[in-house]
Amino acid sequence: MFVGSMAMASSLASRMVQEPAPAPAAAAQAPPGGQPQASPAPAAAQPAPAKPYEEAQYRKVPVVGSRVAIWMVAQLHLLFAAFVLAIPIFALIVEAIGYQTGDRRYDRLAHEFTKLLSVSFSLTATFGAALTFMLIILYPKFTNYMMSVFSPTFLPYVALFFAEAFFLYTYYYGWGKFHPVVHLGLGLGLNVAGTAIMIIANSWLTFMMSPRGVSPNGAVLSVWEAVNNFTWMPINVHRVIANVAFGGSVAAAYAAFKFLQATTDEERAHYDWMGYIGNMVAISAFLPLPFAGYWLAKEIYAYSQSLGLTMMGGAFSWLFIIQAILIGNLFLAANYYLWLGMGRVEGQKSFQRVIKYLLIVIVLCFMVWATPRSIIATVSEVRAMRGSTHPVLGFLGVMSAKNTAVNILILTTFMSFLLYRRTGKVATVPWAKTGNAVQLAIFGGVAALVIFLGVYGYFVEATVRIGLSVPQVLSVLFAMVSITAIDVFLFRGASRTGEVRWGRIPAISQYVLIFIAVTFTWLMGLMGYVRSGLRQHWHVYGVIRDRSPDAFTPTLGFATQVVSATVLLFFLLIGVVFWITSLHDRPDFERRTDRS
Amino acid sequence: MRVPHIVRIGGLVLATTGFYTYVGQMVPQKEVQPPEETVLSSDMTTADMAKVGRRIMDGKGICLTCHTIGKSGALRFPDLAGVGGRAKTRVAGLSDVEYLAQSLYEPTAFVVPGFPPAMPPMNQPPFSLTDDEILCIIAELQTLGGTPNVTLKTRHRYYGKTAAPAAAPAPTPTPTGAP
Repeated sequence: MFVGSMAMASSLASRMVQEPAPAPAAAAQAPPGGQPQASPAPAAAQPAPAKPYEEAQYRKVPVVGSRVAIWMVAQLHLLFAAFVLAIPIFALIVEAIGYQTGDRRYDRLAHEFTKLLSVSFSLTATFGAALTFMLIILYPKFTNYMMSVFSPTFLPYVALFFAEAFFLYTYYYGWGKFHPVVHLGLGLGLNVAGTAIMIIANSWLTFMMSPRGVSPNGAVLSVWEAVNNFTWMPINVHRVIANVAFGGSVAAAYAAFKFLQATTDEERAHYDWMGYIGNMVAISAFLPLPFAGYWLAKEIYAYSQSLGLTMMGGAFSWLFIIQAILIGNLFLAANYYLWLGMGRVEGQKSFQRVIKYLLIVIVLCFMVWATPRSIIATVSEVRAMRGSTHPVLGFLGVMSAKNTAVNILILTTFMSFLLYRRTGKVATVPWAKTGNAVQLAIFGGVAALVIFLGVYGYFVEATVRIGLSVPQVLSVLFAMVSITAIDVFLFRGASRTGEVRWGRIPAISQYVLIFIAVTFTWLMGLMGYVRSGLRQHWHVYGVIRDRSPDAFTPTLGFATQVVSATVLLFFLLIGVVFWITSLHDRPDFERRTDRS
Repeated sequence: MRVPHIVRIGGLVLATTGFYTYVGQMVPQKEVQPPEETVLSSDMTTADMAKVGRRIMDGKGICLTCHTIGKSGALRFPDLAGVGGRAKTRVAGLSDVEYLAQSLYEPTAFVVPGFPPAMPPMNQPPFSLTDDEILCIIAELQTLGGTPNVTLKTRHRYYGKTAAPAAAPAPTPTPTGAP
């Protein structure tokens, strides 16, 4: 392996790119020691070669190029990191529920989730190390600059990494070995350390997009300002929520994989339940995610209008049509899974009647969201339309319509969740009728308000229109929080009309869970690309120019190919993780041979 | 023959990623190159300058990402059709050249009513347009309903006030909140 590594390093070194690109002011121009330095002479008698020391600006990776290599490794690192951060969050919550209720099933479920952690943690660290080395090898000057800005954050990062490893292994191996409260404390420590690591790493990447705390020539003025840049906190919040959604979906896919392989009803019941919980966690986190996205986009615009407009109206605008298709698929698949799941509850018929109406609303919203403002058309078609905008459909391609569609989509999926939650239950509190009426009034009122604001947006000036998305988002959030709060009290002590028959669900539902996980992963890859690609020909936006051969912004077609290749690699590796994890449950070799 | 679940799962993962890749090929494909350095010769005519100005507006300046030319309806930023004519009378006391220069160097000094104060100064990063490049843009804007008359010798109150961009790296923007 060592020989292979050395051969690869020397191959990369031979592809050194010496371009007249500017170097960061803070980056050292002179070799270590400040004097030109020759290669060490193998023997004192031989004269040193005259070749002067030159610092490489960039190095190339054969065939795929440096950018694609870094892109894929960074994305794989982020996907595993997201998984490793998400699993402890809901393992801790599930374990806490189990401790509180005394229901051992929750404890078993939480333990099952954490079995996926240790292998994934190793893979995360491996890809993290690969990313670091590749940055040093392929982008040495840029990496040097980033180190000069963020060096004070490195030691805390390493210390936190040790803490995370400590908590992770004690949490996993200490299952059932400590008092439950102590064990929950270990889980909490794991979550705190993991999240803190992510927050530090986020400061590096957000600085590249919205730098501050540096002078006009890139010199560091304030490390804290460089850390606390415009997009840091929105990315922190967005990533925590997105990680939970992603982790939930992958855990649900694991349960689906195990469900499909299960041979007994008991196993099927357990993995059906696990898949349901994983998916519920994923969708619950997914519903508020667009709001975190709004905040991030708002901060990008606040930092630089041109950056915001490049994202939404320039080179990347069509990417958001692809995003709409992905998110539309997620909503459709999540609702489909919920509706299939109703079949496992006795007495579900009254709710299944309204499903077709929910489906119509979801499809309509999906269609509006995926309507582009400009249509790809031939010259004659453009002439006939008097522009690239369709005379009728063009009205749906603007933000007023899209914001309205997204908010109604979220409300509808939320209703679907609520119906599932109520399946097989009847509220027995004396104010049940009033409670239902209030819930319905909130839902109807908020839906009407969202649609009214969307239509109103067509008749007002841009300054007013931009601000209308805020009351739309806030009203939907209000509906979700208030309706849930009423529902919790409404169904406290509810009588059951039928039992949940775990495991009694069609096999296709499990493929839906896997489809959701793949779509989530693909969506993360796509949004990771837009966040990073938005800088276009800058390493650090407006500060350090990218002068490598890869400084151009590739086509969306190419970007989606890279995203797909990364997603396939990730699922190949996650398959290995699932397989290694499943070894834990296999009988010992000796026992097997004894039996045979 | 019953297809094993593992094969079906593999097929599903491949089909899903394949579908999204296909969607990615269906949208318009545009590769965006880094902006080229503009070469300006001292003997350029106003018409030549307008041509260069249009190229800068399309590329390095990314003006046309936000602004439209000849569109109406719900616009996010002012349409530029006729701006060359309007520029003479927009702000009392400012000639068309002075007004257009102000819009490019100090865009929040006057904001067209009904639009957000969102335009960044074009002489600052990440655009860092030079004074002469901005003169070329003014020439192009004058062609939109006005009378093009700027040359590379034209001077306005902002000319020569921008510090030359550092050889490397480019100066950083100074984020101070919403523009």
